Amino acid sequence: MAPAAAAAAQPAPPSLSLPPSQFARLQPHAYLLAHLSPPPSSNQPSIRANGRAPSQFRVTSANTGSLTHTNGSAVVRLGDTTAVCGVRAEILHTEDIASWSVSRPTPASSSPTGNKRRKLTDSTAKLSAESENKEEDGDDESQIQDFSLLVPNLSLSTGCAPGFIPGAPPSALAQSLSHQILTLLHSTRLVRAEDLRIWYQPPNLGPEELERHNENEQMDVDAPQGEVDLEKNKEIKAFWVLYIDIMIISLAGNPFDAAWAAVLAALRDTKLARAWWDVDNEMVVCSDAVSEARKLSLRGLPISSTFCVFEADAASGWRAVVIPDAEEEKELDDSTRKGIQRRWVLADPDGYEEGLSQERICVVVDKEQDGKGKTVIMKLEKNGGWAVDTKELKTLVDISAQRWEDLKQILEQC
Amino acid sequence: MTDRRRINGPPSGTRPAVFAASLNSASNIATGRPQRQRQPNELRKIFLKTGLIPSASGSSYLEYEPSASLAAARSSPKCLIPPSSALKLACTVHGPKPLPRSATFSPNLVLTTHVKYAPFAARKRKGHIRDASERDLGVHLETALRGVIVAERWPKSGLDITITILEAEDDRWWGDAPDSHDAPWGIMNVLAGCITAASAAISDARIDCLDLIAGGVAAIVADESEDVEAKPKLMLDTDPAEHRVILSACVVAYMPARDEITEIWLKGDSSKALLGTDYKRSGHEALLDGAVDAARGAHSVLAEAVRESAVRFAGLAPGGGVMQ
Repeated sequence: MAPAAAAAAQPAPPSLSLPPSQFARLQPHAYLLAHLSPPPSSNQPSIRANGRAPSQFRVTSANTGSLTHTNGSAVVRLGDTTAVCGVRAEILHTEDIASWSVSRPTPASSSPTGNKRRKLTDSTAKLSAESENKEEDGDDESQIQDFSLLVPNLSLSTGCAPGFIPGAPPSALAQSLSHQILTLLHSTRLVRAEDLRIWYQPPNLGPEELERHNENEQMDVDAPQGEVDLEKNKEIKAFWVLYIDIMIISLAGNPFDAAWAAVLAALRDTKLARAWWDVDNEMVVCSDAVSEARKLSLRGLPISSTFCVFEADAASGWRAVVIPDAEEEKELDDSTRKGIQRRWVLADPDGYEEGLSQERICVVVDKEQDGKGKTVIMKLEKNGGWAVDTKELKTLVDISAQRWEDLKQILEQC
Repeated sequence: MTDRRRINGPPSGTRPAVFAASLNSASNIATGRPQRQRQPNELRKIFLKTGLIPSASGSSYLEYEPSASLAAARSSPKCLIPPSSALKLACTVHGPKPLPRSATFSPNLVLTTHVKYAPFAARKRKGHIRDASERDLGVHLETALRGVIVAERWPKSGLDITITILEAEDDRWWGDAPDSHDAPWGIMNVLAGCITAASAAISDARIDCLDLIAGGVAAIVADESEDVEAKPKLMLDTDPAEHRVILSACVVAYMPARDEITEIWLKGDSSKALLGTDYKRSGHEALLDGAVDAARGAHSVLAEAVRESAVRFAGLAPGGGVMQ
């Protein structure tokens, strides 16, 4: 009673209307719906509560190489969502891999076949180059996966949002995001295994050298043979393991896009030192010269775009999932023709919109030949509803392709 | 026992890269220890900004200016081993929020501090689970802050302060043998940064405080020099990578307006240090005064950051003329 009396005593009685921010909190669904479908009399365009058009992404910025103790690092801001990614390279010796000698035939037995292949490619280089490439690619994938050379981990317990308790084990969301990043790294085959291998070339032993010195005239004939010998002895001594750690510093919806963009930018920034097997110390030693370090050569530039579906029916989340029959379809089509939209596909949802939608679509696309070729879908994930059909998915892929162009520019500038 | 909630690397573990330069000591001298370019009482520049994390009730981001050697290494990279590092951390404050039902009654605000290094923050890769030094930092931070917050204004509520360290200070120069410095000195600079950043974030969350609290570090160092006679010197805001021997270091949490200290952490032996004849005080007094001076320096940055936060808040406030 007392506060009411006090309010009444005030000169200006409080109005019954609520400020928008409070309305947004009390009636989130109605608030967003009112923005998306304004009354026809008001002549207002249909925009989202955050002022974006339905297919508009948030302002994105990226910055790389700012962290000192990493091989590559990036900060990506997607509106209010911020992801920091650091890539640290460590060394995995093949002698530490339990299955190394089992899974891989010993160098002595494997190299003859390897040589044969090499010789073949020499003779019919152009023809078989492609097939060999494919062969090596297959090898690639299995080594990166078998020895888990890529270790992405995403952390949400940084105080990024009120729900996540710091110090607690990673939440289900964090675990699922880490795993999605891992599978995407594997399935896009972004990192080449060849970049991660550290080779060792044992020197030719004395007697052979001497012999060759004696028959100096035959050097030209011998030389290719010698090279083949060298190839035969070449062996992998170690691998680089890339620890890719992503800290979501601030979370305001759509963590996956931000995290993946950060991973991509950090991997593009990653430099690996030149490393060799030091026989005397029996370890891998790196050179600290920047001029000798090399960047990773990534395969393509897969870029992810996330969408969510907002339905006008507030109870859509409770409704039993029934695929509409022909009549209902017709009805839906009619309503859209009349201009009464009942669902909206929103690109790059923020935290507020994510909380109001059930259905989510994630599209990862790449473009061949550095943007000049055709668009390739690397991953397509859709869950939580049946609203988006083939036709709409096609438009979403087109929007993602557009997004690819934009993000490519941003990543290239940083 | 592997962590099944995270993606683990190879089961046999991996080894950090070993650089050829650190194997043979001759080339150490070639690259050389980074030199301090600042005056003994000159602090590094601090970048402090509030409100970068909108989902939190208060937040701040703090970054130290890279030392001269690091800045040079960044602009013209030659060596892959960074000469030193500069502190970068993000702090968020969530609350005040009601305590869970299961919690016992508390007439005061319950403060929880949590400090975590990112795995890539230090020269040696950190684990995902907090280790003892991180918990220790959290406790130090909590004692520093508890004296500032007016806790009885929020009974039955909790306040969570989370700090993520993206880049930490080095404990020693990388070229020194691992046992050449007896204590992890870098953690003291990190604590000073945590205190300053947390104070900014708490003010940004509009929690009532007695005063702004700033952290400062001072150390007594014996520098590399030709003559053995050289006296140990008092330096403010030391970067441990730049000094060969740190005899003693001290970090304080200091409230300038009230001239009060809520936290002192002094490490090393300061009694033996014979400062020059112009120092009439004993070693640890000089050290404390130095740390307080450093905190005063940090306070000016802090005050500016909090002022910015207040301006932003005034602009956003519902009564600020947006409505009606």
